[in-house]
Amino acid sequence: METLTTIDELGFAPALQEDMLEDTTSDHALLEATRTGDQDAFAELVSRYRNQITSYIYRMTNDYDGAVDLAQETFVRVYRAADRYQRSYAFSTYIYRIATNLAISELRKRKRRKLISLTGFFLPGDGGEPKELNPPDCRPLQDSELVDTERRNAVQRAISTLPEKYRAPLILRDVDGRSYDEIAKILETSEGTVKSRISRARGFLREKMRAYL
Amino acid sequence: MRKNNCEEIRRELDELLLDERCSAAADEHLKDCSACREFYETRTKLRQIVGSLGTVAAPPDFDFRLRARLADGSSSAGVHYWALARKGLAFAAVLVVFLTGIIVVRNIVKQQTNREVADSKPVVPQPSPKLVAPVAPETASTSSPLTAEVQESTPVRNKTERLVLTGPRTKKHLATIDSAGLGARVISGTEAVGSGATAVIPIDASLPSMKFSLDDGNGNARTISVPAIRFGSQRMLPNGNQFAQKGIW
Repeated sequence: METLTTIDELGFAPALQEDMLEDTTSDHALLEATRTGDQDAFAELVSRYRNQITSYIYRMTNDYDGAVDLAQETFVRVYRAADRYQRSYAFSTYIYRIATNLAISELRKRKRRKLISLTGFFLPGDGGEPKELNPPDCRPLQDSELVDTERRNAVQRAISTLPEKYRAPLILRDVDGRSYDEIAKILETSEGTVKSRISRARGFLREKMRAYL
Repeated sequence: MRKNNCEEIRRELDELLLDERCSAAADEHLKDCSACREFYETRTKLRQIVGSLGTVAAPPDFDFRLRARLADGSSSAGVHYWALARKGLAFAAVLVVFLTGIIVVRNIVKQQTNREVADSKPVVPQPSPKLVAPVAPETASTSSPLTAEVQESTPVRNKTERLVLTGPRTKKHLATIDSAGLGARVISGTEAVGSGATAVIPIDASLPSMKFSLDDGNGNARTISVPAIRFGSQRMLPNGNQFAQKGIW
């Protein structure tokens, strides 16, 4: 794979044309083309997965800017490792695995730094487990849209308090709607473990979301 | 049995997708079991809420930033290499300093220990050492046979002699005089040949070999080299300090 020296050499947005890259082109074929230096093929891959990957990492980390940065890092790794890519798994499994590893790595870094988002949760004075910051809202309800927004925020906060081993399978299953088999491949574990973790994650979430159920 | 059945049904319900229908058996069970029905309703609602989160879109400049990042890839790889190299060099430097420190500290401790041993052990007066010295010409001519043993009370030493203590073999008590750079004693013809005497020469085990220069006084000179000398089964080693106790042979 040739080394890129300028930004313009890539130029995927303008060069991306529907007649050149058909929707039926498989991810494998696109990555194969990327390996031979076809920047349009890589641009197509990016356009297919950028929202999914950004959203997935955002659900994992509860930090949009950080999620965008990690999503870009995911694509950079895909691009640089295109030579070593093997077709043993679906490309989506491959890219989700990279994204998961980056997100988990970021969560661990945060834990080490003890960076706690003020909008997420706070540490209680007694030194116990972090609790969700969810002050009661006594204002009258405006409309259903506001209620939905508030509920979604509460869910996102509740998910961000889950242990990482429960968080990833829950998001992949209940938010992204992936199959147990695919989740098992992404997380490099067994299907039974995935099912058990998802069930436990829902149990935790049910306790945290009791007010909304 | 009923509890086991509930567990199985709940597991089945939990594994379903939201739009999937449960089996007929599970359907029948839900009609009879209110606990499982509540479980199913709660879980379904929870999954609907979680599923409503949807997808968050990437920012509009995502592609531009990604392109910039990829274009910057080569330079960042170089930076990464240098970062690693710097770490390696720093580690090596720390290792060298650490090892040097260990060596220095060890030497200091060793020197202190030696000093303490020397201070704590006063020099024990040794029995008067036997000194090996070349025979003075006068002594050689007067004594019969021409074997001279230096008097113990007043040892006479000259520059060519080697003082050897016959006490215990400790480095502290060993005193030597290096005579390698000094010339040999000259025995003139009148002394040795005229009187019909023989010269007695002390042999030190540390001497690898000996050389005798003979001159008849008329300019005819000869040099005789004598290799390491054996006495019986005892070998005179080139470096007598190693094996053989020094003394008079």
